[in-house]
This record gives sequence, C-alpha cells and structure tokens, in this order.
Amino acid sequence: MQLSATSELEHAVPRDVAALAGDFEALVRLYRPKVFRFALASLRDLDAAETVTQDCFLRAYQARDRFRQDCSMHTWLMQIAVNLIRDHTRNRRFQFWRRARLTAKPVDVAGQTIADRAQSPEAQALLKERVAAIWSAAERLPQKQRTVFLLRFVEDMDLLDIAVATGMREGTIKSHLFRAVRAVRERIGEAI
Amino acid sequence: MNSRNYLLKHLSSEQVSECILGQPSPALAQHVQDCPMCQAELGNFREALGEFRGAVRAWSNDQAKAALDIPAPVSQPRSIASHQLAWAVLIAVVCVIASFIMPRHGAENAAASDAVLLNQVDAQVSRTAPTSLEPLMKLVVQE
Repeated sequence: MQLSATSELEHAVPRDVAALAGDFEALVRLYRPKVFRFALASLRDLDAAETVTQDCFLRAYQARDRFRQDCSMHTWLMQIAVNLIRDHTRNRRFQFWRRARLTAKPVDVAGQTIADRAQSPEAQALLKERVAAIWSAAERLPQKQRTVFLLRFVEDMDLLDIAVATGMREGTIKSHLFRAVRAVRERIGEAI
Repeated sequence: MNSRNYLLKHLSSEQVSECILGQPSPALAQHVQDCPMCQAELGNFREALGEFRGAVRAWSNDQAKAALDIPAPVSQPRSIASHQLAWAVLIAVVCVIASFIMPRHGAENAAASDAVLLNQVDAQVSRTAPTSLEPLMKLVVQE
C-alpha cells in the first residue's frame, strides 16, 4: 500500500492490513503530529507526551495484526493514545507534578495565535483572554471530560469516533462534553 | 420553549452547549437565528474555541520542533567523545610502538654498560699487582 496519498489514508480504512507493516514509517510520519498533539494537550508535559507517542506507535505496530478495520487508522491510534494517557495520569509521580503545575504560572498557549488578525487590539486582547481561559479550564477538567473536550475541539473528531477512541457510549460522551463546555464557559465568565 | 416566549429568554448555559455541540432543537436554532445577543454569544464562543484549537496546534508544533532541536547540542558531546576516542587510540598506538622500541634501547644501554664493566674487570684482572702495590712494582721494574 502506498501511503503517499495522505487524504485517502486519513479517512479511508486500510484495505490491506498486512501492508501496514510494509509502510509503517509512512503511518508514523502521517499520524505522529496528531497523536503527539493530543498527548501534549492532555498531559502538558513534553517528555511524557513524547513517551506516550512512542509507546502508541510501538503498540500499534505490535498489534497491527489485530487491527479490525472497523474504524479509521486515526481513530484506532487515538484509542491507543487515550489508554496510554489514562494510564500515565494514574501514575503518582505524574499526579504530583500536575498538582504542582496547576499552582504554577500557566503555559501561554494563547500567545501562539491571534496576533495577525484584522481586529482591533482590544478585540484581540479579549480573544486572547478567552483562549487562555479555555486552556486553563481544560487543564482543570476531570480526566474523561478533558479527553472528550480535546478530541472534539482540538482534534475535530465527531462523536462516533470519540466513542470508539474512548470506549464510551455516545450518550456518555455528550454528557461529558456538556459538562466540559459548561465548565469552560464558566471559566471564561470568571476570567473576563 | 414555545413559539411565543422563545425570544423572551436568552439561551441557558445548557442550551448554549447544545448549540456548540451542534445538536440544537429546531426551537433553539430558531431562537439563535432571531436573537442577536445569543447569536453574538455563540459566535464569540465558537470563535474562542476555534482560536483555542489553532493555539494548541501551534503550541504543539513549536514543542515538537523544540524537541527535534534537542539532539543538536547532544551531537557536540558526541563529537567530543569521538575526538577523545581518537586521542585514546593514538596514545595507545604510541604506547604499543614505544613498548617495542624502549626495550631495545634498554638492551643496548645494558649491553654498553656490561661492556664497560667487563673492560673494567679485565683491566683489574690483567694487572700483575693490586692497585695498592703498584708503586712498589714500579720500583721493581726500575731495578
């Protein structure tokens, strides 16, 4: 299977599972940024995100024969990543550093964007504050809410794919998303 | 929310969430269409979520690039290590060569000193009288 056709691969289910092994490097090149981004946004720790990303592809490679093709490759990799991140966040050492981080100065993720928009400086500042508030609120969300929130609003996954990736029912995901969005909106209200 | 009062009350937090998640009821959708305040509220939140997505993606890309840049300074110690290895090999070679050369010099020196010693011994042995009696021997020869 030639994996150079990116768009084809991203949305289609691979027909030949055996070919996964043949061009696994191309799979890694294609999906690594997405898995890494999700891990980094979930864990907010560069080393941990790197570890999770590497483990994700290692496990995918080891389990490539068991890939049932009933979901896209992206969803399947996200499913592995969700499990790894969940395991990682249960680690006591990680929990300690996460608590420490919550009290420390937050990462200025909002500073990454907005600068070149055709908006007034006031509107830009307000938008930046909103983005910072969402970032901060996302960190404080419970694990499951944070996972579905990031999968929905950063990774752009639809509810069915999130259900496959998280192993939760669609109704449960909606419920988590509702709570997450409400918490985020409250946080924006507090911040602004 | 019936058709009479749907414009009287603005959207609750739950209803905003419904709209954000893309599953508003027809009545909610109608309200958003007709109410500029709720429309603006939703628009602002959607815009913030869109910016949030872009910000996280940009931040993630920067972090990934930074992580890829990390090996660069690591390569310097590696080159230093390779230089150190080269020096170590060179010193080892010099030592091996020296171990072959030095004993020869030592043997030559030892042979030379042996020769000097033997000459001295020969000189002593070949004397007809001890050193202390040599003045008397001169007298005997003179006679």
